[in-house]
Amino acid sequence: MPDDREQQSSERVERVARDLMAGKRLKIGPADASDRGAIMAAAALAGAREPFPRMPPAFRRRLQSALERGREPGVMSRRTALVAGLAAAVGAVTGAAMARLMPEPAAHPVGRGGGIQNRIPAVRWYDAGPLSAFKEGLPVRFQAGAVGTYLIRRGESVKALSSVCTHLPCELAWGAETSSFNCPCHNVAFDGDGFQITTPEGYPLPPLPQLDVRVTASGRVEVAGP
Amino acid sequence: MIEFPAADVPAAQIALEELDLIYAFIYARVGNRADAEDLTQQVALKAIPRLRAEAAAASIRAYLFATARSVLAGFWAHRFGLPEEELREDVAPPAQHPPPGPRAESGAAATRATRILEALPANYRRVLELRFLRGYSLKEVAAETGSTVGGIKVMQLRALRAAAKVETDA
Repeated sequence: MPDDREQQSSERVERVARDLMAGKRLKIGPADASDRGAIMAAAALAGAREPFPRMPPAFRRRLQSALERGREPGVMSRRTALVAGLAAAVGAVTGAAMARLMPEPAAHPVGRGGGIQNRIPAVRWYDAGPLSAFKEGLPVRFQAGAVGTYLIRRGESVKALSSVCTHLPCELAWGAETSSFNCPCHNVAFDGDGFQITTPEGYPLPPLPQLDVRVTASGRVEVAGP
Repeated sequence: MIEFPAADVPAAQIALEELDLIYAFIYARVGNRADAEDLTQQVALKAIPRLRAEAAAASIRAYLFATARSVLAGFWAHRFGLPEEELREDVAPPAQHPPPGPRAESGAAATRATRILEALPANYRRVLELRFLRGYSLKEVAAETGSTVGGIKVMQLRALRAAAKVETDA
């Protein structure tokens, strides 16, 4: 007889299987991580329905056009580059200002008092698990409320960097071979401290904003997010 | 079928031709067109601007596959909230890629599925074949096998876990 846990897993995996067979996107999240093997096997089997699928013509056209846009550093006007850089810089400065404005988050939800606290909606600490679960220098993606972060252990402390590129709002991916955060939208990368790795054809970008992070007395990592 | 491009075709053009292969590779791992399109686009945008104009077709393919593996690992890691390193080997063993040519890759997903299914006990294999390869609903699988929907749901989970193990052990 299946226990409750197996029953829940079977429901979760069936939901994914149903979506896959209906041709829908994978709707999965960290709560599904314990069933990742089964979910990935389901995706592989669903992907075997078409032995050698070709890119649909409409997608091929969209891709071609995205590639043309993606070669922006070569074709982008200086003005556009400056405006984009400025916008990113303004975003980063605003983020930094917000970070300074953020009150020292309490272990309990922030009160409804006046002053600064009123301007910051629902700041709270999000539990990211025990410090012992983090490997030295290896970024782990974590969602702190509405903000995506990469948490990087540095000895007994942890650094939290925004997971979004400071150029365009694209989610960065950690590349272990290059030890860098790579932007899927453009040829842009950031090092493990959040600073841009400059390339000859690139243009300067602000570093990745940081979030407040703390390690509690019981050894839990907590990140402050909205 | 993709043909090998002529040697003097610029790297970006060769890469564009190769993207069909990358799309098939990704589709075989995410199982749906929408995610496969998004991820193929990420591979293209990430890899193509970095190619050297004079790069050979084989090295372009190797670079595209390396990028595809990294993008796929990022996709699963991001969704599951896990470190990429933990998923990299699950995504695609590096020894198998890049394949020697498009013809060898063609049908690879079906071959892989067959290999997985053949390694499973008969009852697990039957459930997964009906559900995923023939597109039966849970209810239809239950009717076909004389079981209950609840029973099949749990058996599907166990069969998929066993399938995942076959992949890991391969």
